[in-house]
Amino acid sequence: MSNLDLHGQAILSEYRQLAPVYTRLRELVPEFISRSLEEARVLVTAIESRVKTEKSLAGKLALKGSKYASILDITDIVGARVITFYSDDVDKISALVQKTFEVDWDNSVDKRKQHTIESFGYMSLHYVCRLPKALYSDSALPELNDVRFEIQMRTALQHVWANMYHDTGYKSGLEVPPEHLRMLNRLAGVLELADDEFSRVRASINDYRRKVQSLVSDGNFDEVSLSGDSFNSYLALAPFASLTAKIAAINQAEVQEVSLTPYLGALRLLGCETIGDVERLRTKYSDLAYRMAVHQIGQTDLDIISSSLALQNICIVCLVDRGGSVLELEKLFDAINGPSPYNASRARNIIDFIDKFRK
Amino acid sequence: MNIKINTTGNRHDVVLDGRLDTTNADQFQKDVAPLMEGEAPEIEIDCSGMTYTSSQGLRIFLMLQKSVNARGGHMVMKNMTPQVKEVFDITGFSNIIKIV
Repeated sequence: MSNLDLHGQAILSEYRQLAPVYTRLRELVPEFISRSLEEARVLVTAIESRVKTEKSLAGKLALKGSKYASILDITDIVGARVITFYSDDVDKISALVQKTFEVDWDNSVDKRKQHTIESFGYMSLHYVCRLPKALYSDSALPELNDVRFEIQMRTALQHVWANMYHDTGYKSGLEVPPEHLRMLNRLAGVLELADDEFSRVRASINDYRRKVQSLVSDGNFDEVSLSGDSFNSYLALAPFASLTAKIAAINQAEVQEVSLTPYLGALRLLGCETIGDVERLRTKYSDLAYRMAVHQIGQTDLDIISSSLALQNICIVCLVDRGGSVLELEKLFDAINGPSPYNASRARNIIDFIDKFRK
Repeated sequence: MNIKINTTGNRHDVVLDGRLDTTNADQFQKDVAPLMEGEAPEIEIDCSGMTYTSSQGLRIFLMLQKSVNARGGHMVMKNMTPQVKEVFDITGFSNIIKIV
């Protein structure tokens, strides 16, 4: 630091005076970013922030101190970084940052747009911002709303590339052989391709989900393969609610709501390939499933049941009706509740029980 | 209904003995109250001596399971007699509580 000229030393002294402001901004900026991401329901991999160290600032001032009239001209003392999963989320986050902070457009830069069509390399969106008074102010630290800070937005893959690139030491002024730079830039191209593919896969999955939801809600059950997504869309229609209510009425029981998603494996075991197959199972076996419940809880004073009871009984009576063996029923219980030494004896008892009450 | 709880750190070994019904459900709920505290509890309930559970008992096990889930822990019930297991099966509670 002793090699700094007087101007550089004066700026360093301003930096020390503003240290509490920087520390507070380092806390506030990620907090406000995080809040606005939460409201917009945008998931990111990380939000980081840091204050440039005195040593790092001194290095910068030694190199280009004359460029700055005062510390306020240096816009990256406080820096935050938002790392996204998908490349299209970078634009979404930039919109949120614009909405939250005052953006200094003259000093903001979209590095993604600086490449020619033949070039690949650093891809990141950098906004220089201020904290608006309307968002937050503190009379003890009035400079909070004057000091500019930088927000970088990039994908996880762009982040990895940038870190690897820094690791080559280009910033320290070391000469990196051109063939190595070419290798790094080639990798940037591969990662850009991978980022685009991840976004495409997400868009494709979302399209599939929307299509399945629409087919299921329109009742086109036979056109929808049985999958986790389609089963959840089907369950959103509450197909087992009326049978559950009917079973609950046997003992005026309270119904404890639980997820029916674990039944997906059981339904596959019963040969269901489409949502239409599940719906046919429901229609065909609801009455028998109800009678099973009457013969079981109807003879007790139990007044609480799980909302899974209707589907549980449907699966059981279906398998028994099809002449399923004890072993098959045991596998069904394994699929529903996980393997357990109880499942074999329960399977044997259920088959005897259903045989009796059907007679 | 007799209950023994052996606690070591966040691990609770519970042994139940007898019949859990309306006459002792309130006391049972008080007895298990310490299991509703602490982070990431690991609870194992030995039911080999439990001869029956009523709806009130099911409600307490359910409340315990929910509390354990909310605190990032695990709960299992083991060694159930056929009579008690049947209560869990015919109410669908075998889908809610892990029974090994």
